[in-house]
Amino acid sequence: MDFANFLGSLESSGLAVTIRESLYLFPVIESLHVMGLTMVFGTIAILDLRLLGVASTHRPFTKVASDVVRWTWSAFGLTVMTGLLMFITNASGYFNNLQFRWKMALLALGGINMLIFELTTGRTVRRWDQDAIPPFAGRFAGALSLIFWIGVIFLGRWVGFTTGGHVTPGLDINLDNLFK
Amino acid sequence: MHHFALWLAQSRASLAIQTNLWVIPTVQSFHIAGIGIVMGSVFMMDLRILGWAGQDQTLSQTARRFGPWLWGALTVLLSTGILMVVGEPVRELMSLAFWLKMSMLTIGVSTAILFQHALSRHEREWEQSRVHLRSTRFLAMLTFLVWFSIIILGRLIAYDSVWGRWSLMPVN
Repeated sequence: MDFANFLGSLESSGLAVTIRESLYLFPVIESLHVMGLTMVFGTIAILDLRLLGVASTHRPFTKVASDVVRWTWSAFGLTVMTGLLMFITNASGYFNNLQFRWKMALLALGGINMLIFELTTGRTVRRWDQDAIPPFAGRFAGALSLIFWIGVIFLGRWVGFTTGGHVTPGLDINLDNLFK
Repeated sequence: MHHFALWLAQSRASLAIQTNLWVIPTVQSFHIAGIGIVMGSVFMMDLRILGWAGQDQTLSQTARRFGPWLWGALTVLLSTGILMVVGEPVRELMSLAFWLKMSMLTIGVSTAILFQHALSRHEREWEQSRVHLRSTRFLAMLTFLVWFSIIILGRLIAYDSVWGRWSLMPVN
């Protein structure tokens, strides 16, 4: 089975059909997706701003991290689950959408950035935990993380405007019409 | 309200937003990032009250850390929100979700103002006893749910059809 077939079978799965045919499921799933991603961004920003030496600077980095990280991951879990549910309703549409691909690429870059931080600067945290301004590599990782997540939010919104969405958007703006 | 929305839709500012198709998605993205900051700030304050985070910080320290970010982000949300109403007046003002959201927003913002005020006036009491009251902890969870509902209702503005005959949209 090639990839196009796989995407097609996702779209025709019982779950995808149920979501597409329901008046409420897609809006509710999308709302929970927004809820999850605001919590991801809101909590990771607290940590990134600490890394940048902008906020919570009088608290050790590890203290701030232990307050937020598990919530960031829980919210990320919710966002991925709801994202997958939306994806299967129009799998090939999303997969072939340029903004969607960029969004996935930025997510991957965000993951790589986190991994590099954990394996390098994160390893020496005991040396700079109390410092108001962490070492350059840490500040750099914090700045990158903020940029990537804001980029993910922008691209995510653009996916919604370029794939047409679930409900025929009467008064809503639909960028697809621009090219017709 | 429908007449007002139609009038606003013909205004020069609204037409400018309508003809530049990139404006609405851009403004919406800033709006979502702003909500993220609000959610993060409210959440950390609530966690501090519940005793699940920031226990090395006093209530006042936590409020001073997140209060300015909350109000700053709300200012961004208000200005981007106004731009969205001007850009798509019928979609926003004729939506039940929009008015429900505004009602919840009034509750959320008043609670935040009252809490900040009460905390600064009776700091010692709050730190030592009031924070442990069951009613305070209950309110902390409730305020989070209020902001949660604001996000859900905000997204539902795009799906007026979910309200069926409760929809405020006039039938043509």
